[in-house]
Amino acid sequence: MEPLLEIRGLTTVFPTDDGTVCAVNDVTFSITPGKTLGLVGESGCGKSLTALSILRLVPAPGRIAAGSIWYRPKGGNAPIDLVRLCPHGDAIREIRGNEIAMIFQEPMTSLNPVYTIGNQIAESVALHQAADRKEARARAVEMLARVGIPNPRQRAKEYPHQLSGGMRQRAMIAMALCCRPALLLADEPTTALDVTIQAQVLELMKSLQQEFGMAILLITHDMGVIAEMADEVVVMYAGRVVEQGEPEAIFYKPLHPYTQGLLASVPVLGRRSKARLVAIPGTVPRLQRLPQGCAFRPRCSRRMPVCVEMPELEGASGAADASPNADHKVRCWLYDHQHGR
Amino acid sequence: MIISTDARTSPEHAGASDRNLLLAVSGLRKYFPIRRGLLRKVVGETRAVDGVSFEVRRGEMLGLVGESGSGKTTVGRCLMRLLQPTAGRILLYNAMAGVDLCGLSARKLRDIRPRLQMIFQDPHSSLNPRMTVGEIVGEPLIVNRVAKGTELNERVATLLELVGLNGDDLRRYPHAFSGGQRQRIGIARALALRPELVIADEPVSALDVSVQAQILNLLAELRERIGFSCIFIAHDLSVVEHICDRVAVMYLGRIVEIGDTDTLYRAPQHPYTEALLSAVPIPDPVAQRERTRVRLEGEVPDASSPPPGCPFHPRCRYAEPLCRECVPELRPIAEKSLASCHLSEKLNLKGV
Repeated sequence: MEPLLEIRGLTTVFPTDDGTVCAVNDVTFSITPGKTLGLVGESGCGKSLTALSILRLVPAPGRIAAGSIWYRPKGGNAPIDLVRLCPHGDAIREIRGNEIAMIFQEPMTSLNPVYTIGNQIAESVALHQAADRKEARARAVEMLARVGIPNPRQRAKEYPHQLSGGMRQRAMIAMALCCRPALLLADEPTTALDVTIQAQVLELMKSLQQEFGMAILLITHDMGVIAEMADEVVVMYAGRVVEQGEPEAIFYKPLHPYTQGLLASVPVLGRRSKARLVAIPGTVPRLQRLPQGCAFRPRCSRRMPVCVEMPELEGASGAADASPNADHKVRCWLYDHQHGR
Repeated sequence: MIISTDARTSPEHAGASDRNLLLAVSGLRKYFPIRRGLLRKVVGETRAVDGVSFEVRRGEMLGLVGESGSGKTTVGRCLMRLLQPTAGRILLYNAMAGVDLCGLSARKLRDIRPRLQMIFQDPHSSLNPRMTVGEIVGEPLIVNRVAKGTELNERVATLLELVGLNGDDLRRYPHAFSGGQRQRIGIARALALRPELVIADEPVSALDVSVQAQILNLLAELRERIGFSCIFIAHDLSVVEHICDRVAVMYLGRIVEIGDTDTLYRAPQHPYTEALLSAVPIPDPVAQRERTRVRLEGEVPDASSPPPGCPFHPRCRYAEPLCRECVPELRPIAEKSLASCHLSEKLNLKGV
């Protein structure tokens, strides 16, 4: 199937006092219509900035320095390179909210506290769908009902602070989905929620995805959420993609030492192991002071002399135990013909 | 002042004869007044903690789990007397007898405080940015006149090494450290006075996943080496299963189930525990796909007007008429496990 969104060599940079840092560095992946791509990584790995780059919302003084983001709009028009659009122009505004929508981690800070929930949802309907106020309002109420908010007519008249955390996140989802976007960018959508509410919101996202046929870019640090939701997984570390593949490959045959470490360092419910966790030593490096070559090298237990050079993201064909597999890519010298085991 | 009606000790209470008993909490309540209007008239109260009883033995790690608003943090703060409990008893035992922390004056409390210490959630806001690491870790030693001068510096350096930091880091300020290292500083400060009980309130939830494991390992290792008891307050059930000997599940200010970690996770006796366990996503795509989830509808009710009967009944899929009328007591169900559900014997709840 033709990809809905194709990111090639995306590089987003920030000028700082210590020089320019690459917060997103040569990132390439694509999203299939109707599927969920999980983007995993820790703080500062560039996962949120990748999403903001797609919507051209990179905060100043950051900017996209290289790469392209090809998006195939609704209605079968020719793909557009979002990177070439003016970030303040009409073209990107037509896409934001209408074609590509985003939900954030903390709904309290991304909802406007002085407008009612209903007004905020109706605003984007009125903006994109050429609906009058009454129609827009009706659509807002309908959408609130669709995301499982009880008594939606009443709730639409309330302000964000009157809703609970779970309700607010549902309202955010309603707002994001009211224009039936083809792609939903969900940045840690359940991190601030309790587990039982998280379960409700994840189920809701899955059922709405089936109903609307939208693709989801799900950004999270929680491997459990990825296992539940993702059709494909991209693992990022210090601005780069280090491993990419189907969930089965990533979870059962992780190749990159960082992915292996991430999976080994979280306790798994029901495993009943009292043994010490396999912790990754050290901390996430600061982008201003990235080590030369592979950024994970100082924390890696299997580092080799060659790791001072940056490995490429390649199909995991060099692995001794794996057959050539173009779907499972890894950025590590261990799987290189010359340097691997 | 509300007089506690069930301030009697919990059924699992073994009495002071149990030499290993360190802490016995009974009938703990904390109500916050709700004030309205110009005169700030009290119009109601939020029952943040509503009759909690449990015990902690020496060397034991007790997990306190629950969703936001369940009252787990308030319990921790009442134990430290950072909040004055509305009612109840908090008995801290030494070899001879117990002292009730609730009735202690500020002065007497100061003598007890070294035995209780706290580790906070956010290592960015719980360390004073204008104090050096040496001052932060050394402060409890100075305040309690345990050490000064060169001895103080030596003890602080030893503490820093104990938590995996460099003894030379004394003169640096918190901003020079990463989140995980800052949490280590917080742990060093908490352990400075060799406390008997450490209350850790979400100690790893603000940390990166790869760093969480380091801190969990450190806590487990220190507990083996120094042998303190710990109340581990957390919302992450996987972490609690990994590190705790016993677990208490809280809902709307009450303990709904308490028991050995293995028993409670394998065979939960309260429907809320079952729902909570089934909501946790497991990092295993195949297992996750094959799981059937207990769907929990709705949200936690408002603690200022809890539902009548069992506080969980509006969301419970097993609820019967009895549950709507009668508040279930926390009672022994299986060996070493208590639950407050009318139906525990009838239900065959699924664990993990």
